[in-house]
This record gives sequence, C-alpha cells and structure tokens, in this order.
Amino acid sequence: MNRLTRFFRRLVFLVRRDQASRDIEEEMAFHRAQTERDLTAEGMPPREARQAAVRQFGNEARLRDQSRDAWGWQPVEHLLQDVGFGLRTMLRRSPMLTLVAVLSLALGIGANTAIFSLLDVILLRSLPVAAPQQLVVFGKGLWAGSTDGMPNRSWQLFSYPWYRQFAQKTDIFSGVTAVDSIEFGTHGTFAAGPRQLVRADLVSGSFFSVLGVQSILGRTLNENDDRAPGAGLVAVASYAWWTRQGRDPSVLGKTLRIENANYTLIGIAPPGFFGVTVGQAPDFWIPLSMEKDVSPGWNGLEDPDFQSLYLIARLRPGIAIAQAGAATNTLFRQIVRTQYLGANPTPKDLEKIQHAQIDLMPGARGLSQLRLEMSLPLEILMTVVGLVLLIACANIANLLLARGAARAREIAVRMALGASRSRIVTQLLTESALLAMAGAALGLALAWKAGDLFLRLASGQNGPLPISATPDLRVLLFTLGITLATALLFGLAPALRATRPSLAPSLKEGRGFASASARNRLGRGLIVTQIALSLVLLAGAGLFVRSLVKISSVDMGFDPRNVLTFFLDEYGAGLPQDARLNQLQQAIEDRVQALPGVRAASFSMFTFNQGEWSDSLTMDGIPRTPQNSQDVLYNVVGTQFFSTFGIPLVAGRVFSLHDGPHAPAVAIVNETLARRFFPNGSAIGHRFGLGNDPAHVSDFTIVGVARDAKYVSLAETPHMAAYFPWQQRVQYFSNLNVRYSGDPASITAAVRKAIDQINPGVMVSNVASLEEQVDASIGSQQLIAQLSALFSLLATFLVCIGLYGLMSYAVARRTSEIGVRMALGAGRAAVQWMVLREILFLAALGLAIGIPVALLGLNLVAKLEDPHLIARILFGVSPNDPFALAAAALLMLTVAAFAGYFPARRASRIDPIIALRDE
Amino acid sequence: MARKPDLLPGTLDMLILQTLTRGAIHGYGIAAAIKRASDDVLTVEEGSLYPALQRLLLQGWVKAEWKMTGTNRRARFYTLTAAGRKQLGLEVSEFEQMIAAITRVLADA
Repeated sequence: MNRLTRFFRRLVFLVRRDQASRDIEEEMAFHRAQTERDLTAEGMPPREARQAAVRQFGNEARLRDQSRDAWGWQPVEHLLQDVGFGLRTMLRRSPMLTLVAVLSLALGIGANTAIFSLLDVILLRSLPVAAPQQLVVFGKGLWAGSTDGMPNRSWQLFSYPWYRQFAQKTDIFSGVTAVDSIEFGTHGTFAAGPRQLVRADLVSGSFFSVLGVQSILGRTLNENDDRAPGAGLVAVASYAWWTRQGRDPSVLGKTLRIENANYTLIGIAPPGFFGVTVGQAPDFWIPLSMEKDVSPGWNGLEDPDFQSLYLIARLRPGIAIAQAGAATNTLFRQIVRTQYLGANPTPKDLEKIQHAQIDLMPGARGLSQLRLEMSLPLEILMTVVGLVLLIACANIANLLLARGAARAREIAVRMALGASRSRIVTQLLTESALLAMAGAALGLALAWKAGDLFLRLASGQNGPLPISATPDLRVLLFTLGITLATALLFGLAPALRATRPSLAPSLKEGRGFASASARNRLGRGLIVTQIALSLVLLAGAGLFVRSLVKISSVDMGFDPRNVLTFFLDEYGAGLPQDARLNQLQQAIEDRVQALPGVRAASFSMFTFNQGEWSDSLTMDGIPRTPQNSQDVLYNVVGTQFFSTFGIPLVAGRVFSLHDGPHAPAVAIVNETLARRFFPNGSAIGHRFGLGNDPAHVSDFTIVGVARDAKYVSLAETPHMAAYFPWQQRVQYFSNLNVRYSGDPASITAAVRKAIDQINPGVMVSNVASLEEQVDASIGSQQLIAQLSALFSLLATFLVCIGLYGLMSYAVARRTSEIGVRMALGAGRAAVQWMVLREILFLAALGLAIGIPVALLGLNLVAKLEDPHLIARILFGVSPNDPFALAAAALLMLTVAAFAGYFPARRASRIDPIIALRDE
Repeated sequence: MARKPDLLPGTLDMLILQTLTRGAIHGYGIAAAIKRASDDVLTVEEGSLYPALQRLLLQGWVKAEWKMTGTNRRARFYTLTAAGRKQLGLEVSEFEQMIAAITRVLADA
C-alpha cells in the first residue's frame, strides 16, 4: 500500500515536473533572499550580504538537480533530454547524414522484416492447434497423390486400413489422424446457390480431436462420421469461408452439394485454423468415409494397397519421439510383411522390404510441400538481407565515426565540464537508437508492402498463396530486436571512440587531429569489410542469375508459346467413368478443334510440372538392364497432343481416331526410352506392359517415337516417357490444351462458350498459358535470382556511398598536405592518382578477403544442403563459377573507382595558396 | 570549498521532522530553527535542506503548501503528516539507541 502511494506521488511529480522544478527554484531563491535580508539587517553591506547568502546556500545548480533526483526519475529525464538533443543534432546539424542513414537502415530493416515474415509463416510458425509440440508426422510429407508400391524405403503415404492399425497403438499415441495428401479442388453448390470452386480436405473422423481444435459454432467431425464408406454426409467449414458468407450463423444445417452427394454443414472451424498443411486453405473438411463420392476413382477405404494418406499422431505425454518411432516401425514392418510377402517369405523377399521404414518427424509445424520447396531459397535470402543490413550498419558506423570526429570538440568540452563518459556514450547511443528506430519504422512500412510482393513472386500458377505475410507480433518483435542490435552495432564503436579520454588534444586542436589516424584505421577496416561482404553477395547473385538464365534457356522439347491450358472439372457433368465420358470428351475436343484460330487441341493428364504418374515398364523380349529399369513417366493424351505441344515425332505415327476403345492398345514413347531399350534398332512395333507382371508384357504396341521433352521440371535429367491415347484409357481430365493463333482473349471466350454449350456441368476454373506454367515451375529460382540481384546491388550502392564519404573526409583532412605537395610541384594527375590509389588499395584488399570468403561460403552451402535442391538453384553452374566471381570483382572495382573519382577530382583542384593559408 | 562541521549521516531528515513538530515552517525557517536550537553547532550547508525535503515529500512524511509569510511574501510551508510523526518517533528511538551505544563504547575506552 505504502509503496503504491509512493509510486503514485512519483507519478504526480513526473506529470507536473516543470511546476515542481519551478517550486524548488522559487523556494531556493526565497531562502537566499531571506538570508541576504537578515544579514543586511545585521548590518552587513548589501554586496557582501549577497555573496555570503550564496556561499552559505551551497552549489545551487547541484542542489537543484539533487532535489529533483530525489524522485528517482533521473534516467527517464536523461533519456528525454538525450532524445531531444539527439533529434536536434540529427535534424539540424546533419540532415543529409540522417537521411542517408535512415534510408539505408529502412531498406536493410525492411528487407529483413519482409523476408523474415515469409520465413516465419512458411518455416517457423507452429500450427494453431493445442500443444503442437506433441504432434508427429509419419514421414516427411515428401509425396502427394497415391501409390500402390510396396514400401521399400522411407515411406511417405499410407493406406486407410494401415491408418486404422496405427490408430490402435494407444499405448504410444493418444490419437492418430489421417489426411488425404491431395487438397481436392472441385465444384459445388451451397444452399442451392451458384456453383463455385470448393477446396475440401478429406480427413479421418479423429482429425479435430487429435489436433485439439474446437468448433466455434456447431460441432466438428467425430468417429461416427467416419465409420463406414458413405456414412459421413457432413462438412465443417473454415472460418475464412464462413467470413465470405457474411458470418451468418444460419448456414449451419444447410446443404453443400458436391458431385451427387449432399453434405450437411455441421460446424465452423476457429479463425486462423487451416488444417495441417502450410500453404493450403481448404474451405471444408469432409470425412474420409466420403472419399469415393468427393473424388470418383479414389477408393481407398478398404484397399490396403491404395496409399494416399498423410498420418499425424499425438504422442502420449512422456513418450519420446524415438520410442514412438521404434514402436511404429515394428508395426509397419509387420503390416508390410503380412500384406506383401504372405505367410512364409523367403530371405530374398525379406531383403526387398528391409529398408521399408517410417521416419517419425516432429509435427508442430505441420506439413508443407511449400516448405520443402522454399526453405533453402528463404534461408539464402535471409542470409543475403542479413548481410545487407550488416553493410548498412558498417556504413552508418563510418558516417558516425566521421561525425564523431567533427563533434570531438563539443564532446571534449562537455566532458571537461563534468559530464561522465557513460553519460555521453549513453547520449550518443540514444542518437543511434533514434536513427535505428526511424529506419525501422520506415522499414516496417516497406515490409508491409514487400511481404505481399515477395509472396506473389514466390507463389506458383495457382495465384497468391493463401498465407498471410503481413508482419504480426512475432515479426514486430524480430524487427525491434534487429533494430536495437543494429543501433548497438553501428553506434557503440563510434561512441566509445568519440569519448576516448584523450580530450586535451581535441580541445587544443579543435579538429580531432590526434585521433584522426586511428579513426581512419577503423573506418578503413569497416570499408574493407563492406567491400568483402558485398563481393560475396554479388558473386552469389551472379551465380543465381546465371543459373536462372541457363535454366530458362534449356531445351524444353516442347514449344510453350501460343498454348493455353484450360483447367476444368469434368465431374460436374455427372457422367460415370465409361464410354459416355469418352463421348463427352470427344465432343469437346472436336468442337474446340473446329473453332477459328485454334490450330490444335488436346486433353492431357499432365501438361508440365503438374506431377507425375510413374511406374516401371517391361518390354516384351528385352532383358532388364540398370538403364532400362528406371521408372517411366506416363501421360494420357489426345490425338492432337503432339501438335498442340509442338513435340516433333522422330519415327512412326501419332495417335488417330482409329485408336479407339476396341482397337489394339497403342503407345508412343520418347527417344530416351527407345534408346535405352533399343540402342541399335527401332522401337516401332515392339510391345510392353506396365510394372513387372509377366502376364501383361504385350499390353501396348509402340506406334511412334517422340522427341524428348521436359515433364516435371526444367532441371530434370532425361527421363523415359510414354504416352497413351485417352480413347483407350477412360478417365476424367483437368487439362484441355489449345494451340492458337491470334488473340488469346477471344480464344479463351470461344473455348469456354463451346464447353458450356456441350455440357454446362463441366466447369472451367482457370486458364493459364503454357509459358506461365513454365515460369511458375522456376518461381523459387526467379525469386532467389531477382531478390539476391536486387539486394546485392543495393549493398554495392551502400558501399559506394561509404567509400565516397570516407574518401571525401580523407581529402578534406589532408587539404594542407595536398597543398604542400602541389606547391612542391606535384601535378594534378599525380594528386588524383594518389587518392584513387588509396581507394583501389582498399577495394583490392576487400576483394582479396571477399573472394575466398565467397568461394568458401558458396561451397559450404552447396555441400551442406540437399544436392537435389542445390541442383535446382544452381542449375548448370558450379559454386566456383569463374565468370560470376570475375564479374562481381570487376563490378566492385568499377564502383569503387567511380565512388573515388569525385573526391580525387576535388583533391586535384585544391589551390595550394588557399590550402596553405588555411593552415 | 570550506567544509563545515559534519552532520551525523542520516540525521538531517530527523532534525527537519523534529523542527516541523512545532507547526508549518518554510525552508529558510527550518534551517534557521535548526541552527538556533543547536547554538550554531549543527550548521548545515543550508541548501542541502532542499533535496532532503523532496525525499520527505516523496515518502509522504511532510506536506508542502505555498502561503504568504508575515512580511507578505510567498513561501513554501512544510507540515508534518501523521506518517511523518510516526517516522520521527522511530528515528528518534533508533538514534537514541545508537547514541547510547556510542556513549558506552567511549566510556569503556
């Protein structure tokens, strides 16, 4: 209580401290006046009386300070004074320096904040679920889709029956949930409204309870919804979807219709909950029991071979992840052995599955293909912007050093008058902190915009990723942290240097002559460091840009110009997967091919970079070799596919309408496949089968050989590939590709209209050019190349400013020396060379340090990281690429010479007479 | 700067509080009263009264108020609060204990 009232009194004092100061002053004046009066009354002469009163009273200034300090607000008052003083000095005495410092900090801090907010949201943040650190993921989430392979290595996808078996390990897991690895994009209607794109995640009934997520309205899914195939006609909506509906509570109980099933909306998930996959934002969660209804052809509920699920489990408290991993793998081997090897496996069989295993991974941050793809790029960029900020700091430290020298006299005077060193250091650091905060404020504003921009750059063809890169509290804390760190970093050395206790010379000289050489040594050290760092950045950026150029100019094998892909949803037509579907597809292809401006059109299972269907292939009568045993990439296409994609045929024929459902099954293979199976002959007429089944080795007859193309990524090495005509493999398609001439907008409209006329149930959700799809496939490479180039140029620019400042200062300081030299006969060119020589020396020193550091750093990154990722980011260039290094060094030297040219010219124009008179 | 005879550390607050038991007095008055009462033995650097008064204000042991003096000049008068009176009792008894102890030590020597 007492402490509280005391604190309250202190607060009152703080609020009215001006009045309190006046009170103290007035009562002290009263005291002296009274003393003086009494002394005069005793007969002392007035002048002596006044002096005696002052003497008796003591040091009034000090006593006044002590009176005020009794209230304990001294640190705060000093801070306020320092801030006020700092603002005055910064804005009035050196506005240019302040501007340069604040701008470079704003860029540095802004870039760091923007990249960090991306890094945070994609790589660092935990899922918004209960106790996320207890979650574990089965595998690393490396695959998506479905497989029916026999597990023989670290496995990533699991079947529904396996999920049920793992869920019984209740001694280790308090719960297990399964999520379909594909987010289903389909079309549906809600409450009999218009058809709209619906993104749905299929999840087990345990999904919400395992994650510990409660609905904010209605209920979530439970085991009953997932009991038997077709049993769970219910859906939980995301908060984001509900918000788009105006957060109307009456949506509960209404019907969501997808394909031919009606789902009752039973609940709304809490805000911010997006499931377990970072980078995806489903609108609905639907029980896995409805798999077949949501996606015809996906029918894994009772099929242990159909592996398409991610499994996530919550560890029981006290169970370590290693312990859980051991138990999980024991069960997994048992499952695999029973399912694939039968009762009495031979040792050879057992050998096949001995590498089958599940890596149990921490699941706090959920799953993310995005994370797998973006982690290295983001880490690289974070390093890059961190270095940029370091360079900016070094720059500002240098500017402050120069200013510290200019302020040496002011500081010396203040210290002579009794200010303590710590007080002045504090004050100088306050100025640094002010600079840093101004920079941070501006930087945050930049980051706010840049975060979204970077996100768009990083996003693929499906539009901006549904994640928010707007800085949040964590990011603000990060920014505050780096701001204070930078303030210390660039402020401390200059502050300590400026207050070094050798004040006598400063007072005498007034120009800081004595400390000048030492200051310059530190300044030069900083510049050399900056040059070295920015060389590292330039060399890295050079590599990334070269890699991007190489990957962009790679021979794709197809011609992406003038091709549009229409992404469509054929399920809406409500046709079963038989001849009726074929007829619809034939009608669409025929109609679109006949449109004016359309040169060719074809459905395809895949275009480019859309995933893969791969399996091994057995050629009738050809023995297996290591070269021909690799998996083959398959595609299912229309008769005009090769002309649509511009892939030339090198032998045989393309598919025709004669290759119908009842005609012999045919295939076209690519050159690599033909070469690996038939190095010395033609592939035409040979027969093969999918997989290893000896009974099916003559299923397909090769009728043509097409040129190699890129299938999954531009960086891929040649793959074996084979194409089948869709007339012989009934399936739903989501790509209709059109090669056109003329205006793409009118083609788009005409194709949409044609499809709508044939069957209004077929929805076209999106249209993208093939070029866009190719671009999107190298999005992360573009992001790295563009941003690292931008940031390294920024760094170089900062170095340029730093060099210019340092040399200008040096020339100003050496004016008289240069004057003497010129008076003694040194020519202008000689003087110019003298200054330039110094700059080039510094630059050379920086390069001498920077080049080995760059080589070391780049090689280290290349060695430590996953070679597949490195191969994509450094495509066709070695980390030791001499071209990138040479270009970086050359650019650095040019910039240094440019920065030094102006001071050098100024030096050469010094008039010896004026310079000497100045002395 | 010539040093005056030292006050025992910590006693200034007590002397001020003691002086104020007589009623509202301004700073100059307090200084004069201490000087007078101690026959000029306890001379303080007069100004050091003021930081001490601020400390007492912060503790809530005294209150201050601007009033007119007998000669019609504005002065800041201090009065003892109830808490201040209690504190004075405490300090006086502590002080007496200490003096007694010192006296005993001196008598032994």
